[in-house]
Amino acid sequence: MFANVFTKTSRDRLAGMAIGAVAIALMLWMGTAVYKDIDLTLYFETMPPAFLELMGIPDTGDAAGLAFGAIYSFMGALTVAGLAISMGTASIAGEEVNGTMGLLLGNPKSRTSVLLSKTLSLLAVVAVGGLILWGAGYAVPAMLGVDMAPFHVGALVFHMSVNAVFYGLLATAVGAWTGSAKAASGTAIAVMVISYLATGILPLIEGLEDVAKLFPWYYFNHGAPVSNGIDWGDMAVLGSLAALFLVIAVVGVNRRDLRSRSIGASLIDRLREHPLTKKATERIAGSARVSRIAMKTASENQGLLVICSIIMFYIALMMGPIYNIMDEAILSLAAQLPDALVAMVGGVDMSTAEGYLQAEIFSITGPATFGVLTILIGSRAVAGEEQRKTMDLLLASPVTRSKIIAEKSLAMVLYSLILGLVTFLGTWGTVVLGGLDIPVTNVAATSTLLTLLGLVVGGVALLVGSATGRTRWAAYTAAGVTLFAYFLWSFMPLSEKYAGWAKLSPFHYYLGSDPLVNGMHWGHAAVLVGLFLGLVVLSMPALQRRDLR
Amino acid sequence: MEGTAILTEGLTKHYGDVEALIDLDLEVKKGEVFGFLGPNGAGKTTMIRTILDLIRPTSGRASILGMDTHEHAVDLRNSIGYVPGDLALYPSLTGRDTLTYFANLRGGVDWAYVDELAERFNSDLDVKVGDYSSGNRQKVGVIQAFMNKPDVLIMDEPSIGLDPLVQREFQKLIREVASEGRCVFLSSHTLSEVQRAADRVGIIRHGRLVDVESVDELRSKAIRRVELFFDSEVDSSVFEAVPGVREARMNQYSIVLSFDGHMDELLKAATSRYNLVDISSQEADLEEIFLTYYEDEEMPV
Repeated sequence: MFANVFTKTSRDRLAGMAIGAVAIALMLWMGTAVYKDIDLTLYFETMPPAFLELMGIPDTGDAAGLAFGAIYSFMGALTVAGLAISMGTASIAGEEVNGTMGLLLGNPKSRTSVLLSKTLSLLAVVAVGGLILWGAGYAVPAMLGVDMAPFHVGALVFHMSVNAVFYGLLATAVGAWTGSAKAASGTAIAVMVISYLATGILPLIEGLEDVAKLFPWYYFNHGAPVSNGIDWGDMAVLGSLAALFLVIAVVGVNRRDLRSRSIGASLIDRLREHPLTKKATERIAGSARVSRIAMKTASENQGLLVICSIIMFYIALMMGPIYNIMDEAILSLAAQLPDALVAMVGGVDMSTAEGYLQAEIFSITGPATFGVLTILIGSRAVAGEEQRKTMDLLLASPVTRSKIIAEKSLAMVLYSLILGLVTFLGTWGTVVLGGLDIPVTNVAATSTLLTLLGLVVGGVALLVGSATGRTRWAAYTAAGVTLFAYFLWSFMPLSEKYAGWAKLSPFHYYLGSDPLVNGMHWGHAAVLVGLFLGLVVLSMPALQRRDLR
Repeated sequence: MEGTAILTEGLTKHYGDVEALIDLDLEVKKGEVFGFLGPNGAGKTTMIRTILDLIRPTSGRASILGMDTHEHAVDLRNSIGYVPGDLALYPSLTGRDTLTYFANLRGGVDWAYVDELAERFNSDLDVKVGDYSSGNRQKVGVIQAFMNKPDVLIMDEPSIGLDPLVQREFQKLIREVASEGRCVFLSSHTLSEVQRAADRVGIIRHGRLVDVESVDELRSKAIRRVELFFDSEVDSSVFEAVPGVREARMNQYSIVLSFDGHMDELLKAATSRYNLVDISSQEADLEEIFLTYYEDEEMPV
């Protein structure tokens, strides 16, 4: 029907999905290799079935099962869903933000048919990702000589795909209804992250087990598809909600005026328009935010900082009180968990308060939130100006290219410090609220190291953006490097043979010294600072030697 | 006032196999308005972005005000105003915020002058750039180039999207700038625009500078489509004899000529024998001039 739109959209996105799926497959291979290397039988005997189900691990007691749980059900599912969200966001809202929607609809095609072609290509691209993962799910264990008989790889991949389509269509619906790409991706990512965390934590709390059913991630994983096969009931829930989102999207895109090139109104803009606050904000907004490149960059990303701060603060603040109401029995079981499982949540001992906070705040949520902030700032810093074609004008001023890098990095440092402070306050708050016995200096040390890790990740995005002028390359590379570094640090130490590899990961210099227990490790901090500065300094010649796009 | 503003020597830029700019030698003087004329894709933007150090030449060099454009790129920009082709600004800033931002990066901006420019161009600076029409956005682009009174103005198709009234004001401004001894370098693909504003014109095609001429010379070269109306039938041979007439086509009381000679001679021929009632004269488009004059100079493929 609208084959061109379908083909173009699919072609634009296939590479991203293929790279993502192959990366996940590689991790599956490495994970299975590590697990195979260690004796697992003891662990499976001591582990409660409820916990296994929660983590999506089949209770067959071998390496492949653990690897599927850790890699496919967690990293794989988040990655595929994340890519689907990015496609869903781009489908309507993205075209509007780029100002290409008018051109597209200049053809004799209806809005509905554009939307449907884009949705079709979302399904196709997710299916391709699923096929790669499905193939890898059989090939990897076979190569490593692991018995595949007890596993339903197809079922797991089918669950992952439906789950991804659910989030992709959620983003499509919000984007189609509002025309705002930020609202679309923000909503879908927030729903995904919150429901992932909720389905992880709620079942551990007595009396709240059923509340988890309110969160969509529950329907992806609670039936443990890799051991039990497809749960058609769960799939029906996700599928019908996805269909509902599609209907909402169709209605949404047809009901409103399309934007020719949308500009989101920031908080400052709204305050500036209101008569009561006009004068005061004019003073800040009008002159301060355009006073220099760093301030301008900061103001462009204020919304991002606010969102990241809110997420970080509340998640941190919740954890202490939750720790107190968590079932004693589960905590004591957690104490006996095998290292292999513990690695999945960041290699910590969940039975102590420090270990619990590290698992829930610092090992995944923290790096993810900081990563979103610094990767977005870092990838847009240079490449964003080039893609928006504002770099020409910026360089018409007497500033060096290196100065631009320095100013953009300054904005990134400033915002990371603010998010670091928020993390510190949230965690300190939760320590006080929960009456946990953790010194405030250790909280400060961990928050500081997290901030530095975030800067390193942002530095990677900055460097790739400076060297290529492409935001997407910058963001994907930085996200990939982070995921890989996390993997390296959390899984490699499980096996004696590979333990040394962890030191190659920046995560080692972040959590390797157990800063919540032991306080600041200045040597590690220095390594992270050095890495960040190195990346910034390398960005300068990378930009300097290149033709601007 | 005398002196060289822009100088390029053997300036060459390749993108992979594509030769975007080939061996360009050009000198533009202070106090001069120089038009850089060529069809789409001729290499105008590549040349401009190269002398601004946004992209680097494959070989050759360029200098502005005697300073190498790569070595002294940053210092030089204190003295340069630039309007990019395909201008993009920050959509969430107002026009005034945008100008403030660049003013802060450059220094030395007199806000009274900015307001004067805004007034002359009838530009409302309190609107967000994203809400401007393309013409109004272009005005902000032009104002930012002029606002710190640079010695050299480099503009890539600056009058795109500007309405005729604003274009006239823009050309007036350019003449004022040149009369102060500053240099204006502007690219265009329309001959008429360049003719109205420029002193000299460089013609670029397929990456090569084909010719540099004064506007008067170019104008005399320019083929015009002239239609003369009379009150009686005329003899076409009378007009075919006038130097510069390339083609003559009779209608009943009028004659249509392809003409690149001096209008003076044509009119003398017309009025000496017949009663001339009306005259219409249109310039031929740029491609036609290229085809007529520069086709032979095109490089072998």
